[in-house]
Formats: sequence, structure tokens, C-alpha cells
Amino acid sequence: MEMVAEATQTNGQLNDAWIPSACSLCYGTCSILAHRLDGVLVKIEGNPESAVGKGRLCGKGVSGLMTHYDPHRVRVPLRRTNPIKGIGIDPGWKEISWDAALDEIAERLRKLREDDPRKLFIQRTTTVTSSRTPIQVFAAAFGTPNRSSAGGGLHCGNGAHLISGIMHASWSVVPDFQYCNYAVYFGASKGHSAGHASCSNMGLAADARARGMKMVVVDPMCNFAAAKATEWVPIRVGTDAALALAMCNVTVNELGIYDAPYLQAKTNAPYLIGPDKSYVRDPESRKPLVWDRVVRKAQPYDAAKPQEMALEGKFEVNGVPCEPSFQLLKEHLKTFTPEWAERITTIPAKNIRRLGSEFAREARVGSTIVIDGITLPYRPVAAIAFRGSQGHMNSVYDFLAVDLLNHLVGSADMVGGCLGFNPACHGHPDTGRPHFIPKAGPDGLMITGIWMAHHNPYPIREPRMPEQVGLQDLFVLCQTSPFSDSSDHEELWDKFHLPYRPEILLNYGTNLLMSIGNKETVAKSLAKFKFIISFDLFLTESSDFADIVLPDCDYLESLDSRPNFPFIFNLPGGMGEWCWPIKQPTVNPDGQQRRCSDILVELADRIGMREDLNAAFNAILKLEGPFRLERERRYSYEEVCDAELKTNFGPDRGLEWFRKHGVIKWPKKPGEVYWRHCVDVRVPIYWEFLPAIREKIAAIAEPRGVKIPQEYYEPLPDWIPCSSHVENTPGYDLFAFYYRDIIHTNSFTMENPWLDEAARLDPYSYTIAINAETGRKKGLKEGEEIWVETEKGRRVKGRLHLTEAIHPEGLGIGACAGHWGDGMPVAKGKGVFFNDLLEVDFDHVSPVNLKGLCRALGRRNARRQGKGRFFQRSLRG
Amino acid sequence: MVIDLKRCIGCYGCQLSCKAEHGTPPGVFFARLLKQEEGHYPTVRQLFLPVLCFHCDDPPCVEVCPTEASFKWPDGIVDIDSEKCVGCRACMMACPYIQRYFYDEERYYFSGNGATPYERVRSQRHETGVVMKCNFCRDRVMAGKEPACVANCPTVARYFGDLDNPTSEVSRLIKERGGYTLHPEIGTGPAVYYLPP
Repeated sequence: MEMVAEATQTNGQLNDAWIPSACSLCYGTCSILAHRLDGVLVKIEGNPESAVGKGRLCGKGVSGLMTHYDPHRVRVPLRRTNPIKGIGIDPGWKEISWDAALDEIAERLRKLREDDPRKLFIQRTTTVTSSRTPIQVFAAAFGTPNRSSAGGGLHCGNGAHLISGIMHASWSVVPDFQYCNYAVYFGASKGHSAGHASCSNMGLAADARARGMKMVVVDPMCNFAAAKATEWVPIRVGTDAALALAMCNVTVNELGIYDAPYLQAKTNAPYLIGPDKSYVRDPESRKPLVWDRVVRKAQPYDAAKPQEMALEGKFEVNGVPCEPSFQLLKEHLKTFTPEWAERITTIPAKNIRRLGSEFAREARVGSTIVIDGITLPYRPVAAIAFRGSQGHMNSVYDFLAVDLLNHLVGSADMVGGCLGFNPACHGHPDTGRPHFIPKAGPDGLMITGIWMAHHNPYPIREPRMPEQVGLQDLFVLCQTSPFSDSSDHEELWDKFHLPYRPEILLNYGTNLLMSIGNKETVAKSLAKFKFIISFDLFLTESSDFADIVLPDCDYLESLDSRPNFPFIFNLPGGMGEWCWPIKQPTVNPDGQQRRCSDILVELADRIGMREDLNAAFNAILKLEGPFRLERERRYSYEEVCDAELKTNFGPDRGLEWFRKHGVIKWPKKPGEVYWRHCVDVRVPIYWEFLPAIREKIAAIAEPRGVKIPQEYYEPLPDWIPCSSHVENTPGYDLFAFYYRDIIHTNSFTMENPWLDEAARLDPYSYTIAINAETGRKKGLKEGEEIWVETEKGRRVKGRLHLTEAIHPEGLGIGACAGHWGDGMPVAKGKGVFFNDLLEVDFDHVSPVNLKGLCRALGRRNARRQGKGRFFQRSLRG
Repeated sequence: MVIDLKRCIGCYGCQLSCKAEHGTPPGVFFARLLKQEEGHYPTVRQLFLPVLCFHCDDPPCVEVCPTEASFKWPDGIVDIDSEKCVGCRACMMACPYIQRYFYDEERYYFSGNGATPYERVRSQRHETGVVMKCNFCRDRVMAGKEPACVANCPTVARYFGDLDNPTSEVSRLIKERGGYTLHPEIGTGPAVYYLPP
């Protein structure tokens, strides 16, 4: 702490200060020190006092000043004068005063709220996930359930988040870098590129590599994680589930290796399943039954000792034939032979057998280790998936199949294993806050201690006639939805008798036109809003559809009391320190920019919903005691932040304390990091609830003409091909996929001229990557401009890079580039707009969690018609 | 300097933290990241290679400089005195590692918009008509800090120290891990070593 405190003092004549705050060039939100010299920011460095980044930053983080001082930032409120909206249509911007802007917005919002608050749709970018509180609170106070993040189109890990939530109580998973000896990555980049706790993970992964952790990376492209792997396993795009299931089969059936005590105590593996695929329940308590091998009869799961529970065998209970779910899983896995998987994945069967065997043997099932005096199971293997392997219609099964590997060998949240990050926290030693621990819910299955999205992943909500425009209340397993912008949303809303239509869009920093799917579809959705308010740093392609653009402050001008909370989002996992930094203004804006958080508080007052706003702040920030907001008093956002910090860390550690110190930290305990061993909860290796959920959804959807396919809702995972795997339009012979670039975040950072310059020099960032031999066969030349075309006729243009480091059937496009608007002139014309190839409709998303936008694509040469069959898949998290 | 290619993940942190430290103009890189593929599918590897001035023991750039603008400090750092540089660029021709840049005329990153407030402060030190290159952040080193690229590297892949001291961390790493220089056959004696990936 001393260094920061000392550094913030002024120095002689020049006002020289180093101000602790938080980065926002991606949602990793690393802790920074901003160097301000006589009012000008001259350097951004990592804050060595913080566990988030540990004083080091990625290329994006150190480049933040070139975004901050971009002359193209919006500096005044703007109102459109041209009522016609469309791609390429000039809005006719006219400068207006803040008062005029807020008067009009407040009046419209007030009327809308009186009419039907659900008609307000609120959207924010993932980059400011950490600063989502004001948006979340405003939506709750206003009374609209319609809130989303634009990354929910392409970038988001719907399967990863859902299954990490149900199986690990966290938003995502990482290897326990400190102890893991063997990690298998499926379309993930943890520690090698972007995403959650990305910079911290880079250091942890490098330590693991230096220590000798073997890392196998399954990926159609050899860059980022695969480049650093001990072994790169090239795979046909979108077939990861087939490989994972075959590896599970090798583990359980060919080698007979599994962690029986873990499965008995920590999963529903012993729960008895009847012929209807459901639990056999105790007639009185309705609790699922297990077979007790000692007393030789069925008992409720919480009445028998775990070690006595049968995992295998066939039984009869009250006249019902049944077997433990593990028995069913074991039988189910037998169908996924390595030879079968070879045909699907193109990975030789002998390699699949070897990978399964290495994973199972390295798990050292049965071993223990002592950490800080506590004896814990030692399972130094981790199967890790993220966005890459699950960006398609088989999203749920895919992630579940990979994660099953961890649960079979008992490495889930054990030492050296696959960790959900930070799902259990006992709180700061002085206050016991924040405090959250996973707990047992219905049927003994785990409920997360804390969560990011609207609703906990488990217990699963009851499907109902939708009242949300994204239909999330019908498709209850989704975390985000594309239906606010899909081409068929009007049809779906009609079918489900949605009792209203969205009228006003409040957008916070999102460029929807580029972040979801093809621009024509999204543009049609945007044009239908009666009024759009957009908080922006730049005039994006999407702000062209806004009625009023409000100039937002950037991260170096903003305040946030919780840039790294919830800890399940972007605090590094494993042992180390709990760390709560703040984000604080380092300079004043150079124009009329105002902070979105302050504006929302002011708007709430103008609309007349101050009481509701205060109530929502109290509930969402869990404000307590003397720091609870009074119903009718007007608070600034600074006062709210102060209240949250004092609630959590005591009256002496409010905003002023944090402004000076930047961060509070305290050591993690083994019982928090390896919570699973210490907490009596189970997770489902058999998703018994899925068929029942499907029946309930189908009961609502199918009479209205929306078919809910059974095969996606089975209790055990499968490999289901995407349409692009089975359709055989002649000549469409390549699978296109998107991947995250290490120097770009969403569609935002191409405008940063340092990052743009680096990307232009990089062989991959702005190009279309195709296997060199494949390219040669097609007569394509390095560096030439080509068109990529889908079977539906959607096309994007880009420069070709022929590479040895990609599967022969793959076509890789990095980042979310390809801007065409004039508001971000540095970004304009750079890179390839992958999303423009994607259809956005019900037929191209997972019917379970609405993930995917799976697409059959093709490519053609600019001069000569070639054909390809592509589909979307992102490589990395 | 020692760069551990096993730890490096090609994040561009070095290239961009160098920009942040020095405010170098567009197209000028005191530190850069190169990427290279080795082998053929499927036995292919992707190599990330961070490069910078290698501060050679026997620097040809110093030898060819007609005005003694390029020189070597007693501690071994090769530097340029921009007061003396006349921009003849002989050193650029002489540098076998192509790590020198000629800054011909004032230019900033947002073309047509002049310098940003940041560039006005950070780029003041750069004169036009002269050659520029990495000087191992000599100001930082004199102040007891590490070069910016070393201090910032998220994977802790870069080490800075005294190669003449056999007990220094850099000497130990080179010995234990088999550190090597790029193209030693050129014979200039680079002071930047790589540890194998």
C-alpha cells in the first residue's frame, strides 16, 4: 500500500500523481496505476499492489491512453435530425445541450414507464461488465426485465457459463495452475489470450509451463494457447464433444479409472434412475433414492453414507426397475469409441486413446496433498473448455462432455484440477464480507453462492409464456438471447403472444450492428425502435440508429466501486489473495462527457423513480445497516459506491480510503479455493431435469408451431452434428470459425491506433486464415483479397493468409473487425467482419440455451467461384 | 537481457509497453513482436519472437557512424546522441538485426489531427531527421528500475541484469537453460539472449 500512497503525493511544481484504478480495455479489468503529470495522463502501468494483473498489463492495457485521447471521441450530446434510419443513412447529427437531451429522454421514459415498463430494452457491452451495476439497478427500478449484453450474440459463452454455474458454481473454469500437471484445452485460451482474469492467468500459466505442466490444446488453429502447448491436436471444427466423449469412454470403460468416492459423495452418480429417465423418489419425502449396499435397500440420498451407495448394478425399488445414473452413463459412453470419434473429429483413434489414458492416469485418483495443514484430494488434471468449443448448436452437450472428464476422475475444484474461479469466499477477516458459499438445493444439487446473470443456473426456473423479448423465461437454460434482434423475432413474439413490443432502447457502449450477426438482420431490429438513447465513446455503426447520443466518460474518467466483483467473473482463481480494487476518475473529461452512472441516477430522479432506484441499489449491492440507502433521499453515485465499500469493509474503508489505497486484499484459505471438498453439495453428471424442462417448454412452444427437438434435452451428453456438418452443398467444403485475438476486444479496440498498428503487422489479426495446402489446391495465393461466402449467400471480403497452423478444413477469422462507419476512422476498413456471415434466427441457435448462430458457410475466390461449407466456432475464451 | 521463449505468449505487451514508455511515432518500434511458423501441418509450431536492439558487444552501427552519434556507454548499452546524429542512416544499413528507425518528419497516430495531449508530452523528446532505437530504457535503468518491457511483461518472460557478472540471474538463466543469441555467426556479440521455447 505504501507505494501507491506515496506515489499519489504531488511533487514540487508539477502536479505529479500515480492514481490506482482499473483497466477497461477488456472485461478482465486489471488493476492499473495512471500517471498524471500536470493534468495530462502520460502512462498507464499495472498496479503491483493488486492481485489482478500483479503490476503487469497486456498489450491492450498499456495502450489505453490512445483510446482515451482519441480525437474522434464523442464530446457533446447529439440529436438526430433525419427521421429515416438505416445502414449508411446520415442521421444528421445536431449538437444539443445536456438539459435538452435529458428533458426529452426523461419525458419519453416517464411516459413509457407509465404505459408498460417492459417496453424499455437495455443493452450494454461486455467490456463494461464490471460497471454494470448502474444499468442493472436502473432496469430493476424501471421495471423492465429486458436487459442484455451485446456480446450475447457472438462472443458470449452461453454453454460455458450455464455449465460452469451448475457444475462449478462459477462463471467459467481454469486449471489450478499452481498444481495442475496435465491440462487439456478444448477451444479455450485461459492464460494465453483474452477474457476473464486474462492478464493474471498469463502469468499463472507461464509459471505452470515453466514448472512442467503438460498442456494439450485441441483446436482447429495453432495460435495462442495451442502455440504454447506441449501438444497441439488439430480437430475438425465443432466436433469437440465427440473427442471428449470418446476420452470419457476410454477412461471409464477401457481403463476402468474413475473416482468412485467423489462420484458417490459429490455428484448424483448414485441416484437411481427409472425407465422414464427420471429419479426414483422416496414416496414420502420425494427425495431421489440411492441403493445402499450395506442394508441392501434404497434410501434417500441424504440418508445413506456415500461410500455405501451403489454406482453400478440393476435394482428394483417399489416394483420399478432402476439403476444408478453412473451405470447409465457408463453404458451410454460405450457407444463413443475412439474409432467412431476419429471419423467425426479427424483425430486418429490411437491418439484419442492415448489422450484419454494420459488424462486418466495423470489424475492420480485416490491421492491426497496437504495445503496449509489441510489434507485435500490431489487430482492434477483439468479438462478446460470455453467459448471456442461451444459456439454452436450443440453448445450444452459439448461443454458438459468436456467437463465430465473432470468429474469422472474427481478433479473438479480439487487441488491441481479444474477450478471454477472463486465460488466460495468467507469474507474479509474484519467484516466477514463479502460472504458466499455454494449450497445444496433441490435434490441435493448445488446452488451457486453468487451469480452474474438474472437467475441462478440451478434450480432451473419453470418455463412459462414469455414476457421477455429474448424469450429467456421460456428457454430457461439460456443466459443471454439473440431474439431481441433475430430475423424471426416478430414471428416468435406473435406466436407466443408477447403482450407488448419494445419501444425504447437504452444502449450503453454496445455496437450491436457488429456484435450479434449479419448487419441487415440487426439493422431491421434496430430501426423498429421508436426511440434509441445511446451512451457512446465513439459514433459507431450502431449509434447511427440512435435518436440521442450521450457522450460517455471512458474508464479513466469513471468511478466504480466493484470492478472485480463478483469474484467469479474476473479475479484469478487458485490460491493467492482476495482482492477488491476500485476504478476511479484519473482526469476530468476534455469535453461535455458525463458518466453514464451519474446520468442514470439523474434520469431516475427526473422520471420520478428515486425510491425504486434506492431500493434496487440496496438489494443488488446488498447494502446493510447504517449504509442502507434511505428511500426518498437523493444520492450521487459516489455516495452509493461509498456505501457499498463501507458495508463490505467497515466505516473506515469508504470511498476516500479506496481512492488513496486503490485496493484491499487478504489471503485466500484452502477451504475457500478447494471448497468442494469442504461443502456438502452434489452436481449432476446425469441431467435428470433436462427432459422434464423440455416437456414444459414444448407444451408451450409446440402448440404454437415452434418445435423443441428431444435430442438436445437428454440427460446424458451426445455429439449432435450442426447443419454444416451434415449439409453437403457441392463445393462448400470449409468450416469457418471466429476466434478472439490477443490484441483486440470485441469491435472496440481497432480504433486504438497502437493496437491497430500491431494488428496490421500481425500475420493473422486482420486476415482470413486457410491451410496452406488447402489454399494451394484451390489456387489461392498468399495476401490476395478473397470473398468468403455462405450457402445462404452472405459474403465477407478479406486478405488471405495461407498458414500451416490450421486444420485443412478450417477457415479462421480473428476478432470482430471490419468497421465501415466514419465515426471510428482508425478502425474503418480494418480486418474481417466475420459476424456478417451469420444468420440470426431460431434455426441457428441451440434450442436449449439459445447459443450458437451456427452457420453453414462457404467461400469463394474473388476471381473464381470456389465453394466451402463453413460454420461459426470461436477458438478461444 | 534474457527473453524466455517458453514463457512468452506473444501478447504484444513488450511492443506496446515500449510505445507507452517512449511515445514513439507511428512505424517506429524499439521493441517488436514477430511471429513465425515452423514445420508443416500437422507437425507445426508457432513461435513468438520478441526483438529489440541487441546492444551488441561489437556494434557495427557505432563503427560506421560518421559523427559518433551512435555510441556505447561503459555499461554496454548502445545509444544514439540525437544532437550529433545527422540522419545519414549508415547505422541502419550496418545493423544486421534491422532494429533502427529513421524518424524523418513529425507524425502522430491520429493523422490529420496533430498530437494528442499524451503525445505532446511523451513525444517532445523525439527529434526529427535522426535515427531512433531502443536504449534499454536507460533513464529507467539509471533510476534503478527495469526497462519498461521487462517490468510490464505479463508472463515474466524478460529478465534484465549484468551479463558480465557470472552470478547474476541473467547469467544463471543463460547457463542453466542454454540461452542463445540470434545469428551468432554475424559475430557482433548480441547482449540479448533467448531461452528455448
